[in-house]
Amino acid sequence: MSIAYRSQRVAYPYFVIALLLFVLQVAMGVWLACNYAFTMPQWLVDAFPFSTARAIHTNLLVLWLLLGFMGSTYYMVPDETERELYSPTLAYVQLALLVGTGVTALAGFLVGWTKGKPLLEIPFPLDWLIVVGALIFLFNVGMTMLGARRWTATQGSLLGGLVFLALMYLFNLPFYRNLSIDWYYWWWVIHLWVEGAWELVAAALTAWLLMKITGVPRETVEKWLYVELGLFLFTGIAGTGHHYYWIGAPKYWLWVGGIFSALEPLPILLMLVDAAHYVRERRGRLNGRLVFTLAIGMAILHVVGAGFWGFLHTLPQINYYTHGSQVTVAHGHLAFFGAYVMLNVMFFYYAVPRLKGLTAYDERRGNIGFWWMSVTMVVITLAFSVAGVLQTYIERVMGMGFMTAQAQMRFWFAVLVVLGLCMLGGVIYTVRDLLTLRPRRDEAEIGDVTAQLRRAAG
Amino acid sequence: MTAKAARWIFYLGTLISLVLFLVLTVDTHRQIDALTHVDQLSETVVAGKRVWHKYNCNDCHTILGFGSYYAPDMTKAYWRRGAEGIKAVVRNPERFTTWRKMPRQNLSEQELDQLVAFLQWTSAIENNDWPPQDRKYRAAAGRGAILGLSPGAALFQEKGCFACHSVYGTGGDSGPELSHAGSRLNPEQIERILTDPRSSNPEATMPVFELSHEERDQLAQFLAELK
Repeated sequence: MSIAYRSQRVAYPYFVIALLLFVLQVAMGVWLACNYAFTMPQWLVDAFPFSTARAIHTNLLVLWLLLGFMGSTYYMVPDETERELYSPTLAYVQLALLVGTGVTALAGFLVGWTKGKPLLEIPFPLDWLIVVGALIFLFNVGMTMLGARRWTATQGSLLGGLVFLALMYLFNLPFYRNLSIDWYYWWWVIHLWVEGAWELVAAALTAWLLMKITGVPRETVEKWLYVELGLFLFTGIAGTGHHYYWIGAPKYWLWVGGIFSALEPLPILLMLVDAAHYVRERRGRLNGRLVFTLAIGMAILHVVGAGFWGFLHTLPQINYYTHGSQVTVAHGHLAFFGAYVMLNVMFFYYAVPRLKGLTAYDERRGNIGFWWMSVTMVVITLAFSVAGVLQTYIERVMGMGFMTAQAQMRFWFAVLVVLGLCMLGGVIYTVRDLLTLRPRRDEAEIGDVTAQLRRAAG
Repeated sequence: MTAKAARWIFYLGTLISLVLFLVLTVDTHRQIDALTHVDQLSETVVAGKRVWHKYNCNDCHTILGFGSYYAPDMTKAYWRRGAEGIKAVVRNPERFTTWRKMPRQNLSEQELDQLVAFLQWTSAIENNDWPPQDRKYRAAAGRGAILGLSPGAALFQEKGCFACHSVYGTGGDSGPELSHAGSRLNPEQIERILTDPRSSNPEATMPVFELSHEERDQLAQFLAELK
């Protein structure tokens, strides 16, 4: 296995940096759980408050996932367009710019340099540098596609998703005087990213990868890609309304948000059905099982985390009590993991061996890593859910104080510290494997024997 | 399904949802000024919003239910604690927190006033009565005169006494329960405690509130009548 176009190589540094940031992100997550479970001394709270750690945790998540998507895009585009990238140099410049900006922003958080908006804390002028980085990326990908030998629906979905993604970030740039309007457009970034733009990118990358590994014809895959994207955007765009129930927006959002977001699991279910179907109908020799396992695992966890856990509290009658509680946290963790972390991990396991020119690699560790992380994340979600139900009942239904509820939830945060450490172990194990992939033992031995024979003959 | 039908699902699905969303966005902009009382959205409130952002409050607290879930929701904080109650906590968080702490951030008095103005404006947003646990404070929130409450009862709410003390089941539990304060203390004793909280109990953590002589008198009268 190897790559067909030299410029696909630019993907590798993106992957490496993304994976290292992933480890840091999860480590910071464990620290957050400690803050929930234990009492921190006042001097430490003054010096390194929860808010700073949380900003680092979430920004690392966004940064590494986006770097992963970008690397994957750079890997896929030459193959799909059948030409080299427009400019590999620009791809490296973009990486340096984005990582430089990201690291500066994270360091800035430590000294209180922040925009103070959750998930979008990166302050001016760093937010504009991110825009510049995104523009370089779009220019590079767009120019490659313009000079392509063919135009495909997969490319269209990818480019469409990336443009959509960059466009929505612009709504984060102005200062809004009115808090309600501020949140109204905050969700244009957050919701329309994860339930719009990112889904387009994810669907395109998944469709391309499934075509590659299963050999199912392009016509079939792209036909269903259209249906998936249509359903994603139909339910996802108006579904933004489920965030407008309690912000001071008109009442009709309760209806629009409730109905459209109740349909949001449909496209995700279709994705699972499609993926399972392609894997069953695959043609040609099976070259490694791990990527198949990851594809199905991703599809299932995507349905459970984003689909089912989202559906649970999306109806206004329920959301009135669960809004802004640990129930949201439970949903957020499994949704991001199932949909986007798994996508990146799957893509890395497909691309990294090819970038390294390995014919076959030892899949055992990849398998262990997958199960380790996935099972842990499911249990983490359950623990957050128990805490969330306790909070909903004690604080929201019974009307007792915030800290009264937190005291009852404290045990589950202690459990989450342990689970977080377990997750960190799984992530380090997987990242280490990805960065040190080597040939399968039997192949390595065959290589040795051949070399010995050659020496003996020589 | 044919490829053509699949493409139609994509174009129609996207278009319908997008048009609906944009139309409702335009209408929301038309209505939101009334729902959020934009006539009250003064420069002080906007400055308070900047203070809210500057100290990254939102990465521990939620507001309108968004943000981080580490600390209480601030949407109706003004109803719960009143202006002085909010300021007291932000000035000396270590006195009001127990096992989960809030950082000391040394806000200036001007910033505190702006922050309170922002939270007061926020508490009035017509947001379908969310969050459920704070509905009970609505009656008390700055409506004393309308409800015919005594000036002392209104002050009790306004100065944020509910943050620590509870009366008839409403309020915090970090300070003594005051439903029957009048059977223990007479107005003079209450006035003395208000002037110097440590005069009766050297261990007291209650902050000194700046009250005019008249306000102190009204508060003491109100509490002394609780028997």
